[in-house]
Amino acid sequence: MGVLTKNGGSRSEGWLLSTILIVAISLTLAPVLRLFVEGVTDQGAVGLSLAGEVLRQPSTLSALKHSLVTAGFGTLVSVVLGSAFAFLVALTDLRAKAALVFCLMIPMMIPPQITALSWTQIMGPSSVLLKTLGLAPPLGSPQPLYSAQGIILLLGIQHMSIIFLTLRAGLRAIPQEVVEAARISGARGLRTWWQVVMPLTLPSLAAGTAITFVTALGNFGIPAMLGIPAGYATLPTLVYQKLAGMGTSVLAEVSILAMLIGAVAVTGILTQRFFQSRQRVYLVGATSRPLAIPLGAARLPVEVLLWAVVCTILVLPMFGLLATSLVPAYGVPLRLDTVTLQAWTEVLLRQPVTTRAFANSFGLAISAAVVLMLLCLPLAWLMERNPTRLSRLFDSLLDLPYALPGVVLSIAMILLLIKLPFTDATLYGTIWIIFLAYLARFFAVMFRPVQASLKQLDPAMGEAAQSVGASLFQRLRDVIVPLSAPAAAAGAILVFLTAFNELTVSALLWSSGTETLGVVIFNLDDSGETAMASALAMTIVLVVMALMVLVQLMSRRFPKGVVPWQT
Amino acid sequence: MADISLSALGKSFAGAPALHDITTTFKDGEFVALLGPSGCGKTTLLRLLAGFEMPTTGQISIGPREVAHVAGNRMVPPEDRNIGFVFQSYALWPHMNVRRNVSYPLEIRRFSKAEITAQTDQALQATGLTDYADRMPSELSGGQRQRVALARCLVSHPDAVLLDEPLANLDVALRASMQTVFTDFHKRTGATMVYVTHDQSEAMAMADRIAVMDKGRIQQFDTPQTLYERPRNRFVAEFVGRGTVVPMRGVEKSDSALHGHVLGTRIAVQSGDDLPSHVCLRPENLTISETGDLRAKVARVTYLGGKYLLETVADCGTRLLAETRARFDVGMQLGLTITTPWAFSEE
Amino acid sequence: MKTILTTTAFALMASTALADTITLYTSQPNADAQQTVDAFKAANPDTDVEWVRDGTTKLMARLRAEIEAGNPQPDVLLIADTVTLEGMAQDGLLTAYQSPEAANYDSALYSADGFYHSTKLITTGIVYNTGVETAPTSWNDLSDAALKGQVAMPSPLYSGAALIHLATLTGDDSLGWGYYEQLAANDARAQGGNGGTFKAVASGEKPYGMVVDFLAIRNKAEGSPVEFVFPTEGVSYVTEPVAIMSTAKNVEGAQKFVDFLLSAEGQDVVLEMGYIPARDGMGVPAGFPAREDIKLMDFDPATALKDAEANKAKFTELFGAE
Repeated sequence: MGVLTKNGGSRSEGWLLSTILIVAISLTLAPVLRLFVEGVTDQGAVGLSLAGEVLRQPSTLSALKHSLVTAGFGTLVSVVLGSAFAFLVALTDLRAKAALVFCLMIPMMIPPQITALSWTQIMGPSSVLLKTLGLAPPLGSPQPLYSAQGIILLLGIQHMSIIFLTLRAGLRAIPQEVVEAARISGARGLRTWWQVVMPLTLPSLAAGTAITFVTALGNFGIPAMLGIPAGYATLPTLVYQKLAGMGTSVLAEVSILAMLIGAVAVTGILTQRFFQSRQRVYLVGATSRPLAIPLGAARLPVEVLLWAVVCTILVLPMFGLLATSLVPAYGVPLRLDTVTLQAWTEVLLRQPVTTRAFANSFGLAISAAVVLMLLCLPLAWLMERNPTRLSRLFDSLLDLPYALPGVVLSIAMILLLIKLPFTDATLYGTIWIIFLAYLARFFAVMFRPVQASLKQLDPAMGEAAQSVGASLFQRLRDVIVPLSAPAAAAGAILVFLTAFNELTVSALLWSSGTETLGVVIFNLDDSGETAMASALAMTIVLVVMALMVLVQLMSRRFPKGVVPWQT
Repeated sequence: MADISLSALGKSFAGAPALHDITTTFKDGEFVALLGPSGCGKTTLLRLLAGFEMPTTGQISIGPREVAHVAGNRMVPPEDRNIGFVFQSYALWPHMNVRRNVSYPLEIRRFSKAEITAQTDQALQATGLTDYADRMPSELSGGQRQRVALARCLVSHPDAVLLDEPLANLDVALRASMQTVFTDFHKRTGATMVYVTHDQSEAMAMADRIAVMDKGRIQQFDTPQTLYERPRNRFVAEFVGRGTVVPMRGVEKSDSALHGHVLGTRIAVQSGDDLPSHVCLRPENLTISETGDLRAKVARVTYLGGKYLLETVADCGTRLLAETRARFDVGMQLGLTITTPWAFSEE
Repeated sequence: MKTILTTTAFALMASTALADTITLYTSQPNADAQQTVDAFKAANPDTDVEWVRDGTTKLMARLRAEIEAGNPQPDVLLIADTVTLEGMAQDGLLTAYQSPEAANYDSALYSADGFYHSTKLITTGIVYNTGVETAPTSWNDLSDAALKGQVAMPSPLYSGAALIHLATLTGDDSLGWGYYEQLAANDARAQGGNGGTFKAVASGEKPYGMVVDFLAIRNKAEGSPVEFVFPTEGVSYVTEPVAIMSTAKNVEGAQKFVDFLLSAEGQDVVLEMGYIPARDGMGVPAGFPAREDIKLMDFDPATALKDAEANKAKFTELFGAE
């Protein structure tokens, strides 16, 4: 008996949908489910005693407090910076907007631990840069970034682009007529802005804030680099330290912590969704020209200010990183007689771990991108054609592995794969556990752009092929795939970029031979080899920037909305 | 080339019925138009024929082949039905050039390269597109794109061709010439064509028979002349052509003719029923004279190019439409004589 | 790409089974590990070495996880301290091997059964940034109230050497736990490993610290603004022993590795790297006092092993470290 679908889509479509859907669900949602099961059972029986125990430990409570504090204030910093930029870029007549936006996006693509590393190189008595310029603070002064304030600042900078993108999209949807109608009715200047523009942007601002909070909560790289030296633990770093220090014997305990993070994160995600749906309700209907408020005489000073901020958050730390990578030993100021490429040659050419890490990261990123492309394209199309209850449920949940903090996913993967059913084998410690974790985590990153492009695709395209006799496979091959290929390519590049740099997930899952680049940088710095860490970090930054430029050059081929920073 | 027969065909979307119990046959080689206001179910019916939707009840057969049978749980998917479909948006594949768009059905059927080229060239020539073979769809005008869609139908020699408001996106001037293209296509291929439209003049110009639809049912399925001159109910009478439907009382049948009281006058009517209840008063049924059965006042004058359409209000308050070459002003009084209108029965 | 990935993964796993590759887990710094491995490969060109470096505690946690999962990777271990390896030997995780080179070593420096052999003598002493006004000369100087908030040390939870240092100093009558309580009261920072501590001192963030000798002496030679002091009370020491896993896949290659490390050639490499070799009659690297002049404090590995967990817990309580 074949599945008779609602449309005249053949049974083969329904069958294919079920198959791919099952694969996709096992990949993305099975780990989360497993984690949940672990948290509510106590050695097989349903019980919350272990959960209660863990949650009452002082280390848990203090880490929770620290997480909420840093995530909360970090989000605040992001909101201030991001919305300032968003308002100015979206609503006014600034020049060179495209370049400004592109530069603003680079910190988003640079992994957090490299951000933390580079900033620590420009501050504190250690700073090679400051020493060389003779501006270093005196001996004994603490590294100001090794503190809650440091974490908050860097979290704020790392995530300001999320607020920027969300808010800018919301602002662009406001048509000129709205402001003109207000002015005709007598409203003036600031009043127009406050009473007309602001209320229309609040939903997108709220949505952006919620998702920034969730991302900041789950961030591992920054609190790891800045918090661990200061003894300031957040929930993700607590999980990391427990697991790294005591191994898998504490898996149950650590699962509770992961679920705690997950619970807070899910609240944030739901808040974001709520506000996003409100946003759609507000701005229904066609929009013509977007707002363009002239700045007049203030334009040049504002431009200068914005570019200065961009330089501070992008260029300055890079210089710090570069400076540190060129000294022979820590603490030595950078002068013509001390400059050396020793760190570069050692880490890039001699250390086998680097070559391994490059191969691993590159291989993982490429494989994840390809596999996800093969999965998501047909799945997105079939889900669009035949919306079943299961596929709608899946659609609402598939963002979870990406939105949830990486440590949560890692713990979930360990739980799921440490003992494969029916065998004695395990995937823990192999490269496959990292690969599967990447597939789960970056599923949404590939799926959403492809889905968006397919939604814009006229269903008549496929139906026309059907009416001339093309089978399901022929339709996919000759019509659907070529037309959605640009979006898929963009998704693949985004997956590659994110997977290449990733630290959070691999920090808990790596083992000898399966190190990723993020892990290597972190370990090098942790063991005091900051010069080598800096050299490797700079290499990664250059690779990331090169890839981003590539995407930018090809951006005209991609359908709208696929490249996140498109103006 | 085949008959299309529908039997007790029905379709509901999420409980809300779109088509009720459609039973009819489109004859082999006929050009049928499905005409009706939006929401009447004509597009749904077309998509059921194509196989893009599955019926809730009933059966569909194309030729000797049963393509859908709900009770028997049988459904032939669109790709196996060998029908051609012309979309409102043309549905040309933007990444293929004209030649490939047209030859794709042959590619699917795995013809040899030589055969594909020969058939494609033929189709392109038939639709006048030989010079455009290597262009991309984005470089073509609306009319040209529509012809590509037609050429694509030609190559596969379908049993039937279904058209979903194909001219709706073209400007008025182009429509007339495109209508010729469709009728030529029909003559050339002899295929059974089912054409959905909401524009009655289009339907009347091209179709052999028109199925007028409303609220998911076929109200009347006849030739354009029959529909116009002998509507079977109020909806058809009001939808097709201009006219006013008024009730009729006191119907008497004598040997050769029917008489009844309409708007206070006793007149002769034609009807297919023995006891009709309403008449349809079209402009050609009303003669303007100084004296007449009715007295009416002119409420509005519209110039139609060569003649005038007068909207008149009779003494009893009914609005009647009349046509005249002479000029009348608003407010003028005139007399109207009713000449043998068509009558039908309606509850 | 997936095929290449599979092949690589399998090759990495399979390589440990081939007779000509050994897998080494070590807590030496990356560059040192590289140098050691390079020297070994030069002397034994047929054998390949895959190595992984991490802090002792993290490395052991990883190893235990692998053992529990039934898939331990390494053939040889080259880790900071004998206490950890003593524990592993008692758990039956090591294979005994009586290396012929052991004849040239003080009997205190290797396990009588041959479970592990020391390769170096790494002492933990005082390092300070050359920018300070008064240079410390003894452990007691570090607990001076004037140095409040200016002292850093590695955490015994991270570093094997730090754990031994803790055991040694608390076992000493003149210092004991009172000394650490004083340090805690003075806001001494106890985080991470020796690398992080050295960074803090060299950068000037915490101008005083307790750190392993080679880090300070070697970097000073490169120009780092630091000085190393052997305190008057004496120094604690770890010996970076090498051991063969009982689950080793390439026992022969592992034995060759052990022999090389203990040979005069291998010990020369140690000297070159800036450590004191454990072998008799090898001399000391530049910048070190003569071997006889270094005062080693008393240390009993058995007691240290017994007290390890209790010491860690008490330390955590004092310093609030995780």
